[in-house]
Amino acid sequence: MTAALEMSDVSKEFDGNRALDGAWFRAGYGRVHALLGENGAGKSSLMNVVCGLYAPDAGRIAVDGAPVAVTGPAHARALGIGMVHQHFKLVRPFTVAENVAMANPLGGRWTDELARVAETIERHCGELGFELDPGARIDSISVAERQRVEIVKVLMSGARILILDEPTAVLTDDEADRLLGVVRGLAGRGAAVVLITHKLREVRDFADRVTIMRAGRTVADEDPKTLSDRRMTELMVGSAPRSAVAARSGGGKIRLDIRDLGAARDDGLAALAGITFAVQEGEIYGVAGVGGNGQTELAEVLMGVRPATGGSVALDGADRTAAHPGERRRGGLGTIPADRYLHGLTADLSVAENFALAGLAAGRYGRWWVASGRMRGDTEAAIAAFEIQGGGPATRSRLLSGGNAQKLVLARELSGGAGILVAHSPTRGLDLRACAAVQSQLLEARDRGAAVLLISEDLDEVLDLSDRVGVLNRGRIVGEFARPADRHAVGRLMVGHA
Amino acid sequence: MPDHAAAPPAGAYRARRLGRLNLEVRQSIGRVKHAAFIAFGLGIGLAISVAILMAAGVEAANIFEEFVVLTFFDRLGLSSVLIECSPLILVGLSAAVAFRVNFWNIGIEGQFFWGAIGATVIAIFDVGPPATRIGLMLILAMVGGFLWIAPPAILKIRLGVNEVISTLLLNYVAYLFVLNQIYGAWQDTRDRFPHSEAFDAAERLPLLGWEKVHLGLVISLAAVALVWWLMQRSRFGVYMRFVGANPHMALAAGIPVAMTIFLAVGLSGALSGAAGFVMGAAQEHRLTGTMAAGYGFSGIMIAFLARNNPVAVLVVAFMIGGLYAAGQSVKVFYSLPQALVSLIQAIVVMCVAASDFLVRYRVHWLRGAAR
Repeated sequence: MTAALEMSDVSKEFDGNRALDGAWFRAGYGRVHALLGENGAGKSSLMNVVCGLYAPDAGRIAVDGAPVAVTGPAHARALGIGMVHQHFKLVRPFTVAENVAMANPLGGRWTDELARVAETIERHCGELGFELDPGARIDSISVAERQRVEIVKVLMSGARILILDEPTAVLTDDEADRLLGVVRGLAGRGAAVVLITHKLREVRDFADRVTIMRAGRTVADEDPKTLSDRRMTELMVGSAPRSAVAARSGGGKIRLDIRDLGAARDDGLAALAGITFAVQEGEIYGVAGVGGNGQTELAEVLMGVRPATGGSVALDGADRTAAHPGERRRGGLGTIPADRYLHGLTADLSVAENFALAGLAAGRYGRWWVASGRMRGDTEAAIAAFEIQGGGPATRSRLLSGGNAQKLVLARELSGGAGILVAHSPTRGLDLRACAAVQSQLLEARDRGAAVLLISEDLDEVLDLSDRVGVLNRGRIVGEFARPADRHAVGRLMVGHA
Repeated sequence: MPDHAAAPPAGAYRARRLGRLNLEVRQSIGRVKHAAFIAFGLGIGLAISVAILMAAGVEAANIFEEFVVLTFFDRLGLSSVLIECSPLILVGLSAAVAFRVNFWNIGIEGQFFWGAIGATVIAIFDVGPPATRIGLMLILAMVGGFLWIAPPAILKIRLGVNEVISTLLLNYVAYLFVLNQIYGAWQDTRDRFPHSEAFDAAERLPLLGWEKVHLGLVISLAAVALVWWLMQRSRFGVYMRFVGANPHMALAAGIPVAMTIFLAVGLSGALSGAAGFVMGAAQEHRLTGTMAAGYGFSGIMIAFLARNNPVAVLVVAFMIGGLYAAGQSVKVFYSLPQALVSLIQAIVVMCVAASDFLVRYRVHWLRGAAR
């Protein structure tokens, strides 16, 4: 059988860093191929080569057995290759149909064309078994729906080789399962599907074949049924990662006290309605819930970047409902935002500046003459302590991989000795090892006596780490559980109509 | 375990081939390479300028003579470059400070005028003893520039009003106010020309004793040192970088974002005001309606070429000052139009700006196998 896609000996260097080092890959029609690896293993780079986004330094590519040199995205499309990127390429104020039409012009009069595009979208959705309103504006639909738009876009371009870059990273468990079901359906209809992921469960449940990459090389190409979870993890990370968690009950003293808190979404609708809970010293309070139920607004209100519309927030007994983020930080708050490059880091500034900013604002490095030598020294110490790889103090933080960027945020937030920590999806998009490192840091902070609020859409994470669990549903805390929380009871409240 | 030999054979790939352009975003770039690309752009700009001057009838040897030897290596030439560059440095710093916090101050000329107005008020009403007058003039000039930029700054911070529009339009308001004064209450009673009466000796910046170079140069250099310290060495400078690069993160990290923007923008206005003072107290010796002409554009251009770096502003302002001074003499000796001097400036700026493309992208040439 001729393979749909064959790549061999592909190498690519970025300013001296080898992203790909003789990697190879093959995929056949009618099957789902998982491409498994840690962050920075080269999965996305390899697929960006297929799509013509990167020109490889060396290597060979064949589509349907014929050698090709992909010169750009348009060429890739002509070859029947389509990719759904991790960061969606959609134009926000435009509708679903307009976005699809822009990528796949059908020709003819514009208004007429839109109607035909809408029809095609609906036909594709019907075949795949999901809903999408062609007339809805991109900025009014959820992340899961945006992803569907991307998939429809790629299908309409006639792609037979479909690449999905960590499609479930932004989805809840439920949405992820539905999406992966759709992915199976696509393979069933004859497409070659490449699923980039670092979740073993997805590989096991949904892939026919798994290619494992590590440090830019392909280390295995197997049937997942022949590999144990342990073996897959070993191939992926080189050695088995640490596992965490020891239970603990709070010390009683309330450090974060939230009463009757309300907040609005960007479009003005209520996102939080009368949230009340408290986090004690030495405990992790987990907020479980399906994404989009107010998690972002809750985290932002606590960070101080979104105003509360009602209620109060007290840190260590002092009211900070309307306080500037700087004042909150002086009051002992540390925050780990969900979007690392929106609220966590400034991509174009150096690791040292990003790390030292909190200390600088607290006056640790002087006001009139910044002690840059001391800043660099402290950054180097933090890089060592938090095992941040891929750059030194002078590296622009944009160049760090997701896991290392998150470790940098953690290093900054924890080195100030924050007594109250708000972490929103702190392990989203991280590989196993980075994930374990972040989680163990949260546990260490708890053991030091910090009050940790963990807002996460990953139920396993919430259940593993939290001493108490609150369930967030439609902007309310609809139930609270002490460890060990009953997974099914929590799940029912998450999806129930409260 | 499969190895490379087992990997499927396919079409050969080579990164660099002629025929088709392939671009890749650079993740980072070395200092030397960066400088080399800018020098490359500058070189092309200068080459085009030389070609234009030659087409306009200036001989190649004379171009070098006029623009390099007589401008930078001649006592009189160099002194006029230094005089030209004093206000240029100040407006360049003004633009750089505002741009660093992502505030597009297009109103430099308006703040320049209000600086000149502030200095003029002290001078023509003889405020304070003569010994302190020049200092008072500088202070009131900076206050004037600050006050003129404060409303757009507050509107931007509080209500999100676009500062490009507000600062731009306030230029016209300032200009018309100056016309109102110099055709009205402050008109020179001696010659009835539309300018204020001349400043007294105590209200003019003293000469440094080398040709006609005046104290404005020292003020400009002091401003460079001050802004360098503020932007590159103080905590406020770090705040400015974060606020400019990612205000969301800056706010979440606890930086006083609104205050940082307000102070930086206010300083920008004060520096433009100081430029108006230097122009009034050292070159025009009075308030005139044309004294600010071109300084807004020059300031933006200098800050852009200097990438908002205060020390680079000094260097660029010196070069632009040289271009102005040389342009003046070329204009006279070869009877070339003023537009030609502006054209040369524009070409050099565009070529340096275009070199940014090479800084941001790695260019690949691939064989056109696509179609």
